[in-house]
Amino acid sequence: MPPELKPTYSMDQDVAASETAQRVAAEVLETMFFTEAELDPCEHAWISPAPAARIHFEGSHFGEMLLCVSTEAVDPIAASFLGLDPTEVTDVQRGQMVQELSNILCGAMLSQLWPDSTLALSSPELTQWQDWPAEGTLHRCFRTPEGLLGISIRLVAPSLNQATAARTSEVG
Amino acid sequence: MAVSSMIVGISDCKVTRDADSVLVTYALGSCIAVAVHDPVSKASGLLHYMLPESSIDVKKAEQNPFMFADTGIPRLFDAVRAAGGDGKRMIVRLLGGAQVLDSQGVFQIGKRNYLAARRILWKAGILIAGEAVGGEVSRTTRLEVGTGRVWVREGGAIERELVHNHAPKKRSFSE
Amino acid sequence: MAYSVLIVDDSPVMRSFIRRVLALSGFEVGECMEAGNGIEALTQLSAHRVDVILTDINMPGMNGEELLRRLGADGVLKTTPAVVISTDATNERIVRMIELGAQGYMSKPFTPETLREELERVLGARDASGA
Repeated sequence: MPPELKPTYSMDQDVAASETAQRVAAEVLETMFFTEAELDPCEHAWISPAPAARIHFEGSHFGEMLLCVSTEAVDPIAASFLGLDPTEVTDVQRGQMVQELSNILCGAMLSQLWPDSTLALSSPELTQWQDWPAEGTLHRCFRTPEGLLGISIRLVAPSLNQATAARTSEVG
Repeated sequence: MAVSSMIVGISDCKVTRDADSVLVTYALGSCIAVAVHDPVSKASGLLHYMLPESSIDVKKAEQNPFMFADTGIPRLFDAVRAAGGDGKRMIVRLLGGAQVLDSQGVFQIGKRNYLAARRILWKAGILIAGEAVGGEVSRTTRLEVGTGRVWVREGGAIERELVHNHAPKKRSFSE
Repeated sequence: MAYSVLIVDDSPVMRSFIRRVLALSGFEVGECMEAGNGIEALTQLSAHRVDVILTDINMPGMNGEELLRRLGADGVLKTTPAVVISTDATNERIVRMIELGAQGYMSKPFTPETLREELERVLGARDASGA
């Protein structure tokens, strides 16, 4: 049984997960957003009002990811992606950008961490920052020249329906 | 046919459409060279800049806009257009951006210079045709105005031609 | 020759990104249509002929996998090349989508130039086959 599926597995203790989160954050932001992301100490004064997106995943692993982007970073990051000036970014695009960034980060992270898994990601939903319990949650903050990002990711126990559906689809 | 070399220094930019010319720049460590060529008019330009953002020293940027990506790159393209270059035809390549220890002991300036160029070009609606960036080697590059061919020497290696090689799928800058 | 393209992705900003790459790539793009999921894509395809479909996988309503399945089952649409553009880069998914007929697979993140290169490959192959 893969280590991450054992009952004792805790994502916050997984060194590979931490390294993957760092590598993927840098990769995503450099490749499509033309900016750099470096690990930053988690001082969360900025985080409560920050736009956030939450995304669920299921398949061989069940869990969720939360992305927060500091208020001052959203427009420049969205502008870089869209090829616009930050002043041209609309309210709607702001939200869509946080959602899509969470989608790319989550998919890339899980694909690199567990390349032989099966995955289905939900549509990211806009939300507010949530302080998940430290145990079981991998949480990292990153600094970009534009501002700060916070990523939290954790596995959750699937509901009975989800587990049954997953087993059914594996059996085919 | 006599070839005339036009040397582009650090924080410098030269533009020409003389088909007998070669634009050359040396000692590309963390700096970025932007090479532009219009294959029809031959209008070509080579910019060698040091830093990504002029906001850190506005006065210096006024004295020498070619020191910074955000002031140098637009001027490069304006000059190539003024020399007869057509934006839709321009072939653009990036070179340099190595991770070398700069005067402040910081390794990251090469990457920042590269990302600044990518961001500015994407916003300007320009995709690049090739690049030789990153790593830890100093580079020398030349752009043949008559042919549009770009050559690069990396560290002590033999000079090679930078053929069309689109940017890699994912940026892994230290490789 | 002007190509017509269908972009299928539930993210409007990703559709904008892809549309921008198409506009800057030097292809002559005649029509660039967009759909937010597989159902909208099939609706578009019932009314318009396209030269290439660029599709995400995870979308509400009908996902990209089901869309490829339906395209493959259609006598006419199965000849239209489809390229998958997804954050899912797991091995099983890639294999499955190729088996369903995807002509290419791009995992996010990708640079604009990489997408251009993929389009050149797929459209070039299509032109060469005389389709």
